[in-house]
Amino acid sequence: MCTRMAVLSLSLTGAGLTVSTQAVIAQAVTTQAVTTRAADQATLDLGRKEEARSCVPCHSLRLIQSQRLARATWVKELDKMAGWGSVMKDRDALLEYLVANYGNDKPVPVPDMTRNGK
Amino acid sequence: MFAALLAAAAARPIQGADDGIIVGGKRPMILHNDRPEDLETPLRYFDSWVTPNDAFFVRQHLPRPAAIEPAAYRLTINGMVSKPAQLALADLLKLPQHTVPATLECTGNGRGFYTPKVPGIQWGRGAVGNAEWSGPRLSDVLKLAGVDSKAAFVEIDGADTGVAATPDFVRSMPMPKAMHPATLLALKMNGQSPDIHGFPARLIVPGWDGTSWVKWVIRLTAAAEESKGFFMNPGYRYPKFSLPPGSPPKPAELEVIEGMPVKSSLTSPEDQSKIALGGSQPPTVIRGFAWAGENAIERVEVSTDGGSRWGDAQLSSQKLPFAWRLFTLNWTPADPGYYTIMSRATDAAGRVQPIVPAWNPSGYLWNGIDRVGVTVEKT
Repeated sequence: MCTRMAVLSLSLTGAGLTVSTQAVIAQAVTTQAVTTRAADQATLDLGRKEEARSCVPCHSLRLIQSQRLARATWVKELDKMAGWGSVMKDRDALLEYLVANYGNDKPVPVPDMTRNGK
Repeated sequence: MFAALLAAAAARPIQGADDGIIVGGKRPMILHNDRPEDLETPLRYFDSWVTPNDAFFVRQHLPRPAAIEPAAYRLTINGMVSKPAQLALADLLKLPQHTVPATLECTGNGRGFYTPKVPGIQWGRGAVGNAEWSGPRLSDVLKLAGVDSKAAFVEIDGADTGVAATPDFVRSMPMPKAMHPATLLALKMNGQSPDIHGFPARLIVPGWDGTSWVKWVIRLTAAAEESKGFFMNPGYRYPKFSLPPGSPPKPAELEVIEGMPVKSSLTSPEDQSKIALGGSQPPTVIRGFAWAGENAIERVEVSTDGGSRWGDAQLSSQKLPFAWRLFTLNWTPADPGYYTIMSRATDAAGRVQPIVPAWNPSGYLWNGIDRVGVTVEKT
């Protein structure tokens, strides 16, 4: 997990490859989380497209957008979905998009109601 | 092309109720997911012992199967049996029909209350309902095929299938529970067609978690061992030993969920609602329901002061295993202010609802003492 986070943060922030301790990695990830939304809109846009392309054939977006999960939990969900046949072209961008929009630091949404079906 | 259309349709941003999600036969329900349907019952519908079909929650793992034509329906019984069978609906109707009142609860009901958050439908209190289920006993159905006495499990498959490589929804049940006289293959739900709840035949496993109650049953296989599919392992397992909140599961220490814990839910007054204070006001009726898996409910206590003092609530008279009991307590607050109302159930085996339910990685079996907050105002 730490390896994946480090790789992501390095690739997105352009930091040097000398990061060696977990504390520094954690700091890099935090910095990246703060700056990604403003700095890397292109990644988030790519992630949103990937969501529509690889998730929607099997289930509606509500299933995703009602979740509030930590990055590590989103990684596990993507692993599960890959195992269930989802082919993700831009998986890293999808992960960034999910964490940025539906991370566990975001307020919990109130679900909609269906209309009367009687 | 079809996939692209589907993508375009489902990629619309989530909007209010006007975006037109309608589920046939259902009143307005709390919408957790529309494809497949995951619908929660709003608390205001829980005003009767039997939950009406049009208000009953819906949990689908997989898309609903194509409508099953009653004349074309066949139930396959195979595996460790002496007479493999293909039964028609008429064969099931020829068997003695029984009715069992039982509370059906989604294993993840209350998942939204766990901290830290876990993935899955973020159910509140309403993924539960109580119905009268009717049909032949599963034991009578299995006897038609002559089940081998060495078969320790029945594997149950529904007509629904997974999209792409999503695993099929297949469950296993130990033979003693399958042969229990209250375990039914229900053809009716509250005297009506089960429709979205598994027409034409739905397994009823009283006292066990909702995942065991397979819908649209088309195959029963007698087997020596438990099914190894995803929905038996790792799906729907619970840690044998409690874990620190937020920690990963230990696969070797996960167990299949069977019976359910003791639990109560407050249905009225609504959380964060306002109540008028005044001498001529009728008392506020605190209401809810309590259930305890395979046990009957013995007692429900209610507190209106955040759990400092507790009083016994009045219980509905039918004290049954498998089915919930309604509770009420009349309350006339003396002063204005903010009150925390709580409910705590005890079952016939002496189990009591905990203050803090054990966090678990899949968010199953939430059964914490329930609580709502109300503001009492001078009129």
